[in-house]
Parts: sequence; C-alpha cells; structure tokens
Amino acid sequence: MPGIDECLLEAMRLPGARGAALVDWTSGLALGTVGEPPGGDHEAAAAEAAELARLAAEQRAFAPGDAEAEDADPPVEDLILSNRDSYHVLRFVRTSFDSSVFLHLWLARADGNLALARIRLGEMAGRLVLG
Amino acid sequence: MTVVGTTPPPRLPVRDKAARHRTGGVSPMLTRLAAERATGVLVRASGTLYLAEGRVVHAESPLAPGLGVLLTAHGTLDARAWQDAVDRADEPGTADRLLVDGGRLAPGALELCHLSALYDAAYFALAPSSTPGRFRYGATHWLGSVHPVPVGAVEHETLRRRALLHRIWPDPATDSAPLERLDTAAAPAVAPRQSAVLARVDGLRTATDIARDLGRPAFHTLVAIRRLAAAGLVAPRTAHPGTDGSGPEHPDPGHGAPATPARLTPVGPRTAQHPDIALLKRVRDALEAL
Repeated sequence: MPGIDECLLEAMRLPGARGAALVDWTSGLALGTVGEPPGGDHEAAAAEAAELARLAAEQRAFAPGDAEAEDADPPVEDLILSNRDSYHVLRFVRTSFDSSVFLHLWLARADGNLALARIRLGEMAGRLVLG
Repeated sequence: MTVVGTTPPPRLPVRDKAARHRTGGVSPMLTRLAAERATGVLVRASGTLYLAEGRVVHAESPLAPGLGVLLTAHGTLDARAWQDAVDRADEPGTADRLLVDGGRLAPGALELCHLSALYDAAYFALAPSSTPGRFRYGATHWLGSVHPVPVGAVEHETLRRRALLHRIWPDPATDSAPLERLDTAAAPAVAPRQSAVLARVDGLRTATDIARDLGRPAFHTLVAIRRLAAAGLVAPRTAHPGTDGSGPEHPDPGHGAPATPARLTPVGPRTAQHPDIALLKRVRDALEAL
C-alpha cells in the first residue's frame, strides 16, 4: 500500500527511468518528484507537462467513441511522447474524489522499454489510490 | 508675492518590498515561524495554517472545501466514516491511521487528497490581508501529520498560483463575486470539467459555493471560472444597488450556511458607507500582490 513517494520510487526502478513526478494538471504543481528533472527544473517540467496533459484531457477528439466516454474523467489513459534520446509517459490517475493528477515518467530511449513502462505505470496509478 | 516656506510632507509609508522578497514574499511571520521550527496554528484573516516543527501539516480556509468535503462529496468516504474519524480523534495524529487502517481509504489517496487540500486552503489563507496573523504555539490538528510541506514550498506555490490565474484572465472579480452566465452567439466548446462548473453558475453562487458543490478544490474551480471568463461565458454578476447584499443569498438550503467570510459578501451596508476605504484597501492589496 504505497504513498506518493513509494509510488515514484517504484517507477524509478523501471529500466531506463531518469525521473518521475506526480503532477496536478490544473495547477501545474508537482506533488512529488524523484530523479532527474527533464529540462533541468522539476517545477518548470511539471508546469509544462501539465499544460500538455490538460490539452489532451480536454479535447473531445482524443476521447473514446463509445457511450461511456462521458463518464470517464479524464477520457484519456496516457500520453506518450518521444524524442531522439528519451520517452515521456504521462499516465492519468483516476481517483474516486475530484482531482486532476497524472504520473510523469521520463525514460532514456536506449534502455527504456515503452510497453513495459506503460503497463507498470497503469498498475502503479491504480495502486496509488486504491491501495 | 510671498513664499511661505513649508516643510515637505512626510514620506508616504511604504512597506519594505525588498525585505518581503528576502523572506519569501507572502508572510514574514510565517518565514520566522519556519526558521524557529515552531509548532502551532497560524490564524490569518482568510484561513489557518497548522505547523509542526516549522513545516505546514494542514491548512484550512472558509473559501476552500475541507478534506472532509473533498472525500465525501463523491463517495470516496461515506459521511459517517468521516464523522467517526473526526469524533474518535481524541489523541492528535490518530485519525489518519484510523482512516487508512480501517481499510476505508488507501494511504496514497489520503495523501493525495490531503496535499491537494493543503495547497488549496493555503492559497486562500496566504492571500494579502490587512490584519496581522496570530500564532498559537502548541496547537495541533487532529489529523496529525500526513505529508508535511516546507513553508517555502507553500509560499512559492501560492505566488505561482496567483501568477497562473493572472495569466489566464487578469480580472480577479470572478474569484469572489456571485457569477452569472453570459449569452454568446457562438459559444466555444467547453471541456467537461469546466462545463460542470458552468452548469452551476446561476447568478447567485460564488466560486467557493461551486467548489463546495462539486467537492472540488477551490483553486481548481477558480482556474475553470477564469478560463470561462476569458472565453466570455461567465462574468461576475453586475451589482444592483439595493437588491444586493443583505437579502437571503443561498438558493440551496441544504448548504448548512457555512460562515460566509466578509470578502464574499457583495457590497454590504457597512462597506457601502465607506466605499473609499474599501476601494483603497483593495487597491493596496492588489498592488502588494504584484
């Protein structure tokens, strides 16, 4: 039954993990950070990732097409972004109370396993709020 | 022609801004309390901060829904379980264990919700104020310490949040006034989380009321409302002198009438007699917030 820090440390055990954070995408606040900050600054990275997450969560184009789409908050599960040397995976955390948080994992492209990271982040997001 | 030699008027009292920046810029008293690793409760005009050994462990504000509201509004906890935890917390620090050990709430969920509520209430508690804060040494919060946060981080985040709101829509009137919807010919699409807020804008509710109604942190509600204001969908209700103020405010009797802080009361009779002072105070607060 992990808290925020345990959850982030678990994310850092994934192969190739460089940094991880739990971020609120409405305020842009990092509720917890471990490892290296992407771009050299945890606060700026959180605010920038929050903007991206907010856009993804709010656009109808990215919501699933079925009737249940209205209920899911947010409708998007995760976001994957890649560049020449790394991956970023943003996993939305669904909570039973009103919140807007996501896990942000930064992976080195050479060692990172994107498929594994996606699965594990999903599990961690569930365990964080369900115990 | 005679020249009357008068002494120059005394310099206007100006607060030492440089000093404020050195101390974090929100509350010098809080900075001092952090430095001396104080334990107790700081009561300010718009909220309270609980400190344990110089770190913030809890915050409350009448302008922000409390942890209990956030946890019970969507059935995360049922109201009885929360009340039970409050009642049985005779020893400080036992309630969080009660919540978690009873299997009612995952530790991560409590930590997440509590942290969110802490920064939310602190944003309002640390709002610029004309009355000095009071600190009661030794007082603790029944919930104990869930996730202590350094004072500097709370102050820094509060300033960042002010700047964020200002960037979205620079007029702070929507933060505290009753809100009304504006008719727009071609309304832009509204994101689901914002439309939940928009649906509750009825000409009477303020941002605080909507936040409590939704069980959503108040700052998140302010962000949604400023976005709606920027989109031209929502505006502070235009005041109608005479009809405003003293009458019954609330459309919803189930609210249990929480103490409405003075800031929320739309131009009451008392302030109306001294519009200059009220206005000057607001101008000063706004300048200090810059």
